[in-house]
Amino acid sequence: MSSFRYAYNALVYYGEDIAQSVERVARYGYDAIELPGEPAAFETARIRAAVADAGIGVSSICSIYTDERDLAHPEPAKRAEALEYVREVADFASAVGAPTMIIAPTACMKTAPLAEQGDEWKWAVEGIRAGGEYAASVGVNLTLECWNRYETYFLNRLEQAARMWKETGLENGGVMGDTFHMNIEEGSIADAITQTGSLLNHVHIADSNRAAPGKGHIDFEPILQALADVNYDGYLSFELLPPSADPFGVMRAGGHTAFLDEYTESAINELKAVESRLVGAPG
Amino acid sequence: MIYGASTFIWASPFGDDQLHLAKHVADLGFDVLEICVEDPDRITADALGAAAEEAGVKVSVCGAFGPDRDVSHDDADRREQGIDYIKLCVDLAEAVGSPHVAGPMYSSTGKTRLLPEDERKQQREWAAESLREVADYAGERGVKLAIEPLNRFETDLVNTVEQGLELCELIDRDNAGLLLDTFHLNIEEKDVGSAIRAAGNRVFHFHACENDRGAPGSGHVEWDDVFAALGDIGFDQQTVIESFTPEIQEIARAVSMWRPVAESSDQLAADGLAFLRSGVGVRG
Repeated sequence: MSSFRYAYNALVYYGEDIAQSVERVARYGYDAIELPGEPAAFETARIRAAVADAGIGVSSICSIYTDERDLAHPEPAKRAEALEYVREVADFASAVGAPTMIIAPTACMKTAPLAEQGDEWKWAVEGIRAGGEYAASVGVNLTLECWNRYETYFLNRLEQAARMWKETGLENGGVMGDTFHMNIEEGSIADAITQTGSLLNHVHIADSNRAAPGKGHIDFEPILQALADVNYDGYLSFELLPPSADPFGVMRAGGHTAFLDEYTESAINELKAVESRLVGAPG
Repeated sequence: MIYGASTFIWASPFGDDQLHLAKHVADLGFDVLEICVEDPDRITADALGAAAEEAGVKVSVCGAFGPDRDVSHDDADRREQGIDYIKLCVDLAEAVGSPHVAGPMYSSTGKTRLLPEDERKQQREWAAESLREVADYAGERGVKLAIEPLNRFETDLVNTVEQGLELCELIDRDNAGLLLDTFHLNIEEKDVGSAIRAAGNRVFHFHACENDRGAPGSGHVEWDDVFAALGDIGFDQQTVIESFTPEIQEIARAVSMWRPVAESSDQLAADGLAFLRSGVGVRG
């Protein structure tokens, strides 16, 4: 029986040296590491060497969409700036051998539109299409992410992301789900996965409180079963973050120690235990 | 169990011009109209009491905590302003027969600062000191305080039942307890049923909301677990459906409701009530 491939998002390792992060993820049995989309913070040669030494891969690049990286901004110059960022991340993904990069239509934590929402939607579709075409040229797929209502007014549910993705007409990629956001927004996490089906090409895993699976109340068995049933063959990447509206502020203050060894170890063990109870072979 | 509906499902801000909602929720089958005191000047206690009596519903009074109503503010005058507002809600509760004043009354909603532990402790102490004064005032009028933990995106002060109970302990008054809301519990608690049981007889009021604030029963909140826990603690107070109409932009933005979560406000209330009643019948 084949099995899911697991990754851990180094976002929560916050500023740690890449060699240490890669070593930790490999030590606990992960297939890959997900890296934050800050190309300027990394030397790609060191990443390539570290993952090659450890015998793992880079699953994906977790792009960081700030106010300066807003594909749906009403000012064309701002949108161009955002698109430039998407291209830089695509180059970064390509350079480190990551097959997938995350894309989002607008800035995270932006909770009010700056223009008519129909226009913002149109600009976002145009930006994602242009970014996706560039990513395809360097061998990278996009995955379109939804966030919960407190982080965006734009895409909260997978059905919204699927609609936007289809409008781009792109073939190199799909949409992603994150169980933390889905716990707030979807009527049923498993049903949303089933309905998204083959369009789903990346998954972030976190428990209901954004800690490691097992630390909250999400029942992961129907979720993994739904993923197996739609023949999901992407990574299950743990994106765990401290319980705050500003998780980066918590990490800056050092409040993320449980997310290092402790959760890196328990997250994969917990999901592999769930996986062993599934009906039929995933992947 | 006594079931109520929040006026936020239809309107905001609530005022004397919305008194028809008393009969409306009665017609939908509810026992309680929950009103939120966004702008006290819009609400006349006598008119509200009369409308509720005529419709045959009880009233639940909830507070709304903007920046000018912050009982844990650094500035003592600002705390006093917050205390005065809650006392005014207590007066209204007494006048219309609400057993409580409910809501996240320990701070101004939306403050999600990252305070160092010593400053956070200071905020909690100010909140406790202010709410002790309010609890004494409310106690003399036969009114309880039902303090509501909110999820991480709405406050940094009280997110979990455990933190709520700590605050109650600091307040140290019998009429200071909790309002638990399944929407927030779903985000913050490790186990929703255990959290309700831990709060036990400190649960003075309950909000039944789906994980996306749609009609209870339409999402994935583990209602069996919720009902069982409420049964275990012998909860016999009001259970209110709270959601927010996405049609009024100010309130939609305040609570981050960006899409309709039901076909209509009436549908949400009616479906939710039918589900809650069947749930207790079957499981409770």
